[in-house]
Amino acid sequence: MTATTTAGRRPLGPRIYGFLRSIPTWVLWILVVLWTIPTFGLLVNSLRTRDAQRTSGWWLAWQDGANGFDFPTLQNYEAVLGAEATGGLANGLLNSASIAIVATIIPIAIAAFAAYAFAWIDFRGREWLFIGTIALLAVPTQVSLIPLLQAYSSGVRMTIPIIEKTVTIIPDMGLAGTIPAVWLTHTGFALPFAIFLLHNYIAGLPKDLFESARIDGADHFKIFWKLVVPLSIPVLAAFAIFQFLWTWNDYLIALTMIGGNRVALPATVVVASLAGEFGLREHLLTAGAFVITVVPLVVFFALQRFFVRGITAGSVKG
Amino acid sequence: MSRVAATILGIVVAIGLSAIVFIGINKLFDLAEKRFAIFNAAIGGAASLVIFGLLWGNRLIVSPLLVTLIAAVVGVAVGLGLGLVRHRWARLGIGLAGGLTLGLLAGSALRSVVWPSIEPLAALLGLAAGAAVAAISWQVARRETALVPLLSFWLATGWLFGGWLAADFDGSKAEVLLASAIFGLLAGIWVGTVPYPSGETRGGIAAGSRKYIFLAPALLFITATLVVPLARTIWLGFLSGTPRNLAWTGLTNYRDIFTDPGILDLSEWTLIFSSRLFWAAVILAVIAIGLGVWLGRSGGSGLGTGFSLNAGTAMLIGSAVVLFGFAVFSFIRGTIPNNLWWIFAVTIFSMATGLAIAVLADRAKGENVAKSLIFLPMAISFVGASIIWRFMYVARPPQNDQTGVINTLWVQIGVWSQSETASATISAILGLIVVGLGYLAWRGWQAGNNAVLSGSVVLAIPLVWIMYRFLGPGIGGVAPSPVTGEPIADPILFLTQSPWNNWWMMVVFIWIQTGFAMIIFSAAIKSVPEDLLEAARIDGATESQTFWRITVPQIGPTIGVVATTLIVTVLKVFDIPKVMTNGNFDTQVLANEMWQRAFTELNFGLGSALAVVIFLGVLPIIFLNIRRMQRERLG
Repeated sequence: MTATTTAGRRPLGPRIYGFLRSIPTWVLWILVVLWTIPTFGLLVNSLRTRDAQRTSGWWLAWQDGANGFDFPTLQNYEAVLGAEATGGLANGLLNSASIAIVATIIPIAIAAFAAYAFAWIDFRGREWLFIGTIALLAVPTQVSLIPLLQAYSSGVRMTIPIIEKTVTIIPDMGLAGTIPAVWLTHTGFALPFAIFLLHNYIAGLPKDLFESARIDGADHFKIFWKLVVPLSIPVLAAFAIFQFLWTWNDYLIALTMIGGNRVALPATVVVASLAGEFGLREHLLTAGAFVITVVPLVVFFALQRFFVRGITAGSVKG
Repeated sequence: MSRVAATILGIVVAIGLSAIVFIGINKLFDLAEKRFAIFNAAIGGAASLVIFGLLWGNRLIVSPLLVTLIAAVVGVAVGLGLGLVRHRWARLGIGLAGGLTLGLLAGSALRSVVWPSIEPLAALLGLAAGAAVAAISWQVARRETALVPLLSFWLATGWLFGGWLAADFDGSKAEVLLASAIFGLLAGIWVGTVPYPSGETRGGIAAGSRKYIFLAPALLFITATLVVPLARTIWLGFLSGTPRNLAWTGLTNYRDIFTDPGILDLSEWTLIFSSRLFWAAVILAVIAIGLGVWLGRSGGSGLGTGFSLNAGTAMLIGSAVVLFGFAVFSFIRGTIPNNLWWIFAVTIFSMATGLAIAVLADRAKGENVAKSLIFLPMAISFVGASIIWRFMYVARPPQNDQTGVINTLWVQIGVWSQSETASATISAILGLIVVGLGYLAWRGWQAGNNAVLSGSVVLAIPLVWIMYRFLGPGIGGVAPSPVTGEPIADPILFLTQSPWNNWWMMVVFIWIQTGFAMIIFSAAIKSVPEDLLEAARIDGATESQTFWRITVPQIGPTIGVVATTLIVTVLKVFDIPKVMTNGNFDTQVLANEMWQRAFTELNFGLGSALAVVIFLGVLPIIFLNIRRMQRERLG
């Protein structure tokens, strides 16, 4: 019944059966093609002129030359990156880079220290503190947005009960509408997952290693830099990629915290506002969407191994 | 170019400053054991900086920079002195001098808005309360700590509250000097009477502080961005008014949410039972039960209950559940049902497709290429994905050629369905496939392979239905023109036609999340022990039996993890509706509703209440996670 090729003619029945048995593989590749078509179509369309996009579907792009349209052309990219058309997608890309880089490195450092403390420093209440931290993993971003924006725009004040006097704990530092506000927000939101992921890995490092280092007189700070960091490179890389993609792709936090300050907006918000116009410049959307997608795609293809490891480690181990 | 430079500078400064602060604190506490004086000086300076910084931040002192600098210098001097001198009375002298200096400095710099008119009674009350706290904590510590520092610390605190903060702020310059001098003196006694730490204590400070230093940044950030805001949002949910003028209104916001027909509209629920989807679901369920029971009796692969769960029956049950859900959610409308629909559809479809692809790709040729192409949308932003799919969904007016992939196909199918020859050809091809599936089913039956049998039958059902549509009532995007009656293109308005536009946006999310489910299921399937599968095969189990009896139970916990992760992600879906429709055309979801109320209309109370509703949605999952971790870590 197996579909091995034999020299002689095989009866029709088994041949059909063999073909039908290969259906699962066909289904798989059909799904792969279906999953790829949308992105591929966007890429092709982004290289076509406005009129070409409006006349025919991207699969007819090979006829564009015959119909008097330029193909492929970079004019959409030139337009969308130019400051005139969009309020500066080039500027938005810079802001995205700034947000993503800082909001990746700082949470990694903070989470690595905390994960190490949770894994290898004994103190009372450690388990409960850890569980409490990880429980916050599922808390939706939405519950923090209003108070954080208030804090960024007008500081934090507290009224002391009984004597009814209001004390400013954090003065108004004018953070609303700035990139540092986005850094701070991303850092806080990233920590539960980061600590969870890094802790799983760091707690699994061999115990003897730490004990012999202790006997040699190394303190926690030294152990952390000399042992934990070098040994945890894979998981640090995994989280870094995850967090970089997350912050680069973020829309909600940047939109809320930066809001109307156009100079500081990251690329996702710039492109989304272009999408909200539903107007004459819709053809630029293809190029805009592809521009904000290129960086994640490059990161993804270059470092896929780490990314996949990060996601699976976060979920399978539970 | 200057923008680039400024951006790089910003990045370097942010990261550099964080690193310097953190490493500096670690290095500082390293000094506590061997070079205690330097450590103590830094602590003294830092303490003064915090106190005067707080006054500065509250805009309470004149010429704040100068005063704060002087205070920091005095703080460093006191810290250094106490770090060097061991003699009891000399230490007390340093403490008193330092406290008095700082007290008078503060008293002379404070603005008149905080000059207290000291009320002796309140002051005495504060001091008495301080003394009481000190006495209690001394008893709690079994009288093993030194009494004087403890007492002076609490007296200082008591004075601060009773003598100063409780008073009305309309006093004289003399009174503010007196108040701050007394506070300074009491605080000075405190720091001056703390005994010089022994070598052991200093070593303890250096080593024991490490857990706090390592955890502090993380806990600080988590508290400031999650814990405190969560509490404040819950509080704000009970208030109403403009952002600067919020007043307590109890549960009004919640009442408004649940009585708003835009958020929850149950009025059409009876229509569910007359919808075609509902009856299709019923029919599929009946077929599934019939097929399952029949196969369970005849074949050996029942689950012990006489019901055969295999690829075919599972697909049927799944389809019935999905159709039933869609029937419900297309008539129960509003923001909350929309969210539930999202959760229902995205979770089921992402998991089913993800699991199917993981199984299909397992050990297939080109497995890695296939998996990374399916996984690729995970790297794309929701904004990017929304735009990508907007171009998939484009609907052009009937007289134009369609430029979106799906509508082009749909209109083409309609054209074929109008033509007799095309309909006949397509039906013939479909008929051939159905015959092939029938043959496969027959072979499966002969071989006692229920999966092949029922799978073929189930795959044939939609094909037969499409055949019927082609031959009978017609299918596809062509309809008679309302003006001339001629058949013209009738594209689907994917994003504007309610309620199905919700589903077309869910497709975008499914497109993204399938890769996530697939990658995790794939890892779980690969971690199923090979010898288990081998043993099952030796015992003569079919592929389908090993899958349902061994693989599925083995990946059971993973299914739970993927489901909860997806639910948490979908519940707060925001970007896709925001970018694709901005909640118009009946596609509103909670996160976007919350955003619009809070940040467009500046109704912080209602926005907070909506955020709390989202939070309540994930609360059971948070609770489950805590229970699971409790079991794992606390035994």
